Amino acid sequence: MLDTTDTPLKSLIRRRKPGYSLEAPFYTSPEIFEADMDVIFGRHWIFVGVEPDIPEPGDAMALDIGKYAITIVRDDDNEVRAFHNVCRHRGARLVLDYKTTVGNLVCRYHSWTYGLDGKLLFAEHMGADFDPGCHGLKPVHCRSLEGLIFICLSDEPPADFDIMAARMAPYLAPHDLRNAKVAFEKDIIEPGNWKLTMENNRECYHCAGNHPELTVPLFAYGFGFAPEELDEHGRKEAEDYAKLITTSHREWESCGFPSEMVEHLDDMVTGFRTERLPLAGDGESHTNDTRAACRKLLGTINDPRHGALHFWTQPNSWHHFMSDHAVVFSVLPLDAERSLLRTKWLVHKDAVEGVDYDIENLTAVWDATNDQDSTLVGYCQEGARSPAYEPGPYSPHTEMLVDKFCNWYIGRMAEHVGR
Amino acid sequence: MSAHTTDASTLPQNSSSPRSASPEPAAARLAGALPAWNPELDDTLVVRAVREETPDVKTFVLAPEKPCLFQFTPGQFLTLDLDIDGESVNRCYTIASAPTRPHTLAITVKRVPGGPVSNFLHEHVRVGSILRAVGPMGDFSCFTQGTSSPLPRYLFLSGGSGITPLMSMARTFHDLAEPRDIVFVHAARSPVDIVFRGELELMARNQPQSFRFAPVCEADSPREPWYGLRGRLTPGLLNHIAPDYLQREIFVCGPAPFMAAVREMLKGAGYDMARHHEESFDFGELARAEPEVAADVVSAEALAAVQGAVAPSATTYTIEFARQKRSIECRSDMFVLDAARRAGVRLPSSCSRGLCGTCKSKLISGTVDMKHGGGIRQREIDAGMALLCCSRPTSDLVVDR
Repeated sequence: MLDTTDTPLKSLIRRRKPGYSLEAPFYTSPEIFEADMDVIFGRHWIFVGVEPDIPEPGDAMALDIGKYAITIVRDDDNEVRAFHNVCRHRGARLVLDYKTTVGNLVCRYHSWTYGLDGKLLFAEHMGADFDPGCHGLKPVHCRSLEGLIFICLSDEPPADFDIMAARMAPYLAPHDLRNAKVAFEKDIIEPGNWKLTMENNRECYHCAGNHPELTVPLFAYGFGFAPEELDEHGRKEAEDYAKLITTSHREWESCGFPSEMVEHLDDMVTGFRTERLPLAGDGESHTNDTRAACRKLLGTINDPRHGALHFWTQPNSWHHFMSDHAVVFSVLPLDAERSLLRTKWLVHKDAVEGVDYDIENLTAVWDATNDQDSTLVGYCQEGARSPAYEPGPYSPHTEMLVDKFCNWYIGRMAEHVGR
Repeated sequence: MSAHTTDASTLPQNSSSPRSASPEPAAARLAGALPAWNPELDDTLVVRAVREETPDVKTFVLAPEKPCLFQFTPGQFLTLDLDIDGESVNRCYTIASAPTRPHTLAITVKRVPGGPVSNFLHEHVRVGSILRAVGPMGDFSCFTQGTSSPLPRYLFLSGGSGITPLMSMARTFHDLAEPRDIVFVHAARSPVDIVFRGELELMARNQPQSFRFAPVCEADSPREPWYGLRGRLTPGLLNHIAPDYLQREIFVCGPAPFMAAVREMLKGAGYDMARHHEESFDFGELARAEPEVAADVVSAEALAAVQGAVAPSATTYTIEFARQKRSIECRSDMFVLDAARRAGVRLPSSCSRGLCGTCKSKLISGTVDMKHGGGIRQREIDAGMALLCCSRPTSDLVVDR
């Protein structure tokens, strides 16, 4: 019998088949997009930027998450804070530029002036009965994990951020992101639902066929394979890779670089995964020749061969920390079928462009990879619009992590809208 | 039996009742013969009340921790020893209250753009705050200065927050019901800036024969057009307020240019300067040595009241607004924004307190003395920007406006 009391979303959530891609409405429906923005982006920790985006007191950054306008500022005590970027007078947007420097936060419209703690300091002509204490900026929960800035729009953010932070801090600390600078950043709009962008990132099944640049530094078998399909040569390579992982981890851990895999992609509210992976050949970094792109290494690292630390968070980020530079990615949904992918390349703050690094060389691999991925995401989006689309099976060897992304998503939606 | 008769019959008989064992706490502060406050033994004062006198003037009512009485002559000042951001700062504030109400002592402070002390007092000092102080000190007082005559006639001339010592004197005579003929003139920027307006009007009503209050405003307030005396203090205006002013004992307190203008005016009118008394701080000296202290007393409204009068200690600089192709004069003790306003040069501005940054401008050349309130970053200052609302010129300026 049909359960007519269910919303279409609830039915879709309930009948999601584990191990298969999601049904088309999850990628195309404006209603489900609204629910995603409310449940996923409104109630979970969202990666929005890095401390080097706002390196000095008074630096501010503006960004939009769905309907929300947010500003992230660095206050005079060097703390990173987030506020709704909305004046408490007539609602005008306060910080107008993506990145800027302010004394206090001042509304252009009527000069209402807020301290960097959000307190309303000045509002002219408001009369004796006006209480500035009731008109401070609305704060947004904000946390920096070793320089990676996360915000949560909910009044009650998921508490397990602390568990992730405690687990991840030792992995990230050696790269000392707080003493890095954004050498380059690039926004692209991918022509697809944000989940397609994320799913694409969670597997490398597509890498061999699409990413000639990325597969130079990355091992072909680094993200899974079907062992029964390997020939003798392939088996040897896979065995060698397994050995390399073991010996590399041992070596890195012995000199203070936590490396072993930690994976909580679908068993925590704040899902994440990390592992330090070896790079192909004598690889040092994600570059076309696998050599370090920056002569000055991050943090106190003195050997460029420390592999690449991968760090993924649900629902919207992934990051690669190499010895010489870091690349961080943030996905911000625009509508059901478009997503903003914001990529930042960071190097040591004292590194000099043109001397220690070259932007083109620094960004070549991921700039090309992002473009290729964007095209692939577009293909999926177009396909999802076709009535002929039906969920297909994930590879049990190379797409386990895509499945975990979908498990996490469906689980979080079910938690809030019902199953 | 009614409750009233029960109380009346039992209270006097039972002096050890629980009620009399825990008396009204204020009673202790009035009880018996209290000792005089001695800052050498105990310099801590508790803020017992904070009053908003005008939009940028607050009164802080202080009392000793242990009940005792303040003794001073009206017109004296107190020196606060403040701890601001870990730094010890001393500032003198004239006592505004009267010694006839010795249980508390009040200082009245005008907020100064970028002034660390006045802003600290306005923003951080609340009821219950503890301040350390020494004093009272000073000999600017009608009790100790002036010719003794059985019925002295006074003219009190005050500009801006310079009203405080004269207010203390006026309150003292009022409380003692001492017959003194006083004309109390106060120069303010606009009606809302008249400090103690309600109380001065009340004193005038209480003493219709002997106390006259004459506020003089430079401009209207947004919600109160000013129909009273307007403009700057001139012999003509003074003659209008108090035709017998040449026969009066004159006490003056206000910004240095205000007092200088009064001096010149009285000399010009043939006044016997032996009977002229100024607040004992030398504001000219003070302005050079400690501009922030002077600024606490110097007020924009009083400057407005003496516009045109050149203070001996002030230098005049030329400010050029490059894009508007306008050039104005600005005295070294005036904020560039105020000078521009008076000269009819329109600049974006809002808070006038160095907070909002609306008036942030690029200085193409020249230097300023700026005391901002957080509206500008050191990086911007280093890049040649300034907030004109809280910058006084220290050279000729060219501004990119």
